[in-house]
Amino acid sequence: MTPDVAEKLVTGIKYLSAAIAMLSAIGPGLAIGILSYAALQGISRNPEAGGQIQINMILAIAFAEAIAIYALVVAMLILFVG
Amino acid sequence: MPNNQNSKPKRRSSKWLLLLIIAANILASWAIKPIMPYVQVPAENLAGPLRLPVMGDIYLTNTIVAILIADVLLFAFAFIVHRQLRSGDLVPHGLSGAIEAILEALYNLVSETAHKWAEWIFPWVASLVLVVLVVNWMELIPGVDSIGFLHEAHEGVPVYETQSLLQMGSFNLSTITAEIEPLGEEAHGIGFTPFVRVASTDLNFTIALAVTSVVMTQVLGVKAAGVSYFKKFFNFDGVMAVFSKTKEKKQFGPIFAFTDIFVGLLELISEFARIISFAFRLFGNIFAGSVLLFVMGSLVPVLVQSIFLFLELFVGLIQAIVFGMLTLVFMSMATISHEA
Repeated sequence: MTPDVAEKLVTGIKYLSAAIAMLSAIGPGLAIGILSYAALQGISRNPEAGGQIQINMILAIAFAEAIAIYALVVAMLILFVG
Repeated sequence: MPNNQNSKPKRRSSKWLLLLIIAANILASWAIKPIMPYVQVPAENLAGPLRLPVMGDIYLTNTIVAILIADVLLFAFAFIVHRQLRSGDLVPHGLSGAIEAILEALYNLVSETAHKWAEWIFPWVASLVLVVLVVNWMELIPGVDSIGFLHEAHEGVPVYETQSLLQMGSFNLSTITAEIEPLGEEAHGIGFTPFVRVASTDLNFTIALAVTSVVMTQVLGVKAAGVSYFKKFFNFDGVMAVFSKTKEKKQFGPIFAFTDIFVGLLELISEFARIISFAFRLFGNIFAGSVLLFVMGSLVPVLVQSIFLFLELFVGLIQAIVFGMLTLVFMSMATISHEA
């Protein structure tokens, strides 16, 4: 395998691994959906507590989204750094 | 009958101004194609190292410039509010009224969550929210990440060909027209470094904020409960109760006393994981957003980036609020006594 071909192979594998790293964003997507479902049910049952429910929903969504962001950071590190 | 002469004058001129701006945008992007900027995780150095005896080399990076600009803005806001308070007028007007509204909303949020300690917690939470908000929203200002200086390109940085727009003496205003394909390891040419880069894309800034937040949470815990706050992490009470010969009521037996030690150590590890989580949440969101803006701006130069600027506005706001709210929640959890 000539060095030229090897370099192209490494670049191809780099792109593929970045794509595989982002597959794990399914988890946070589902988590945010379930959280919003519960929050919407809570707000529809008790509209007066809407403010409190909204604040806690945003907090929990931020936790869930952080996992997706970790995956994105790994993918970007693979692509742009090394 | 309503008096029509007091209604607002028709602002017809702003519609044509907007169309003119869009047309100028299209012309400019047809003449000079936008180039995708070079994305790297560490911040680029602007000025040479300042050698300190113990701490090593300190460079002036473009994110430090962004933090300084954000600091100047925040001091200006504080000065405006201070001057308005000094003037004795009980009803705030204009910008100071808006800032007071934001602070009042934050204070209500803080005092709902942390009832007794709200006065101690509020400065920390409000400072974090305001600094992160101003720093995140700087990415929307045109000129950030795009205006910089051209220099001799070093290893690994893409090389551009430029076109000079304006030349006055030794001052040369140029724009980048194309990216030259790298000529191998001997590539020399002109590289580009922006003057200002969004501070949240620098891991130093986010880790510093995260460490500040977690350390001040521990300080608040010690302040609320004394040194016995650390019994949350090193929980030898159950084990001591097992080995003592007094007739104290032993809750749940010796097995749970031993697992209490591991639960405490797990809490200690989760405090450190919190630092990483805070830092990477903010860094990842804003870095991904800025890379998205670069890519969108270079792919479709007109109008598409505006939609993503709206998204970045929203994301910057949410990340600032989330940073503050998580700090608030962890601080108020630290004040709650561990005894059930």
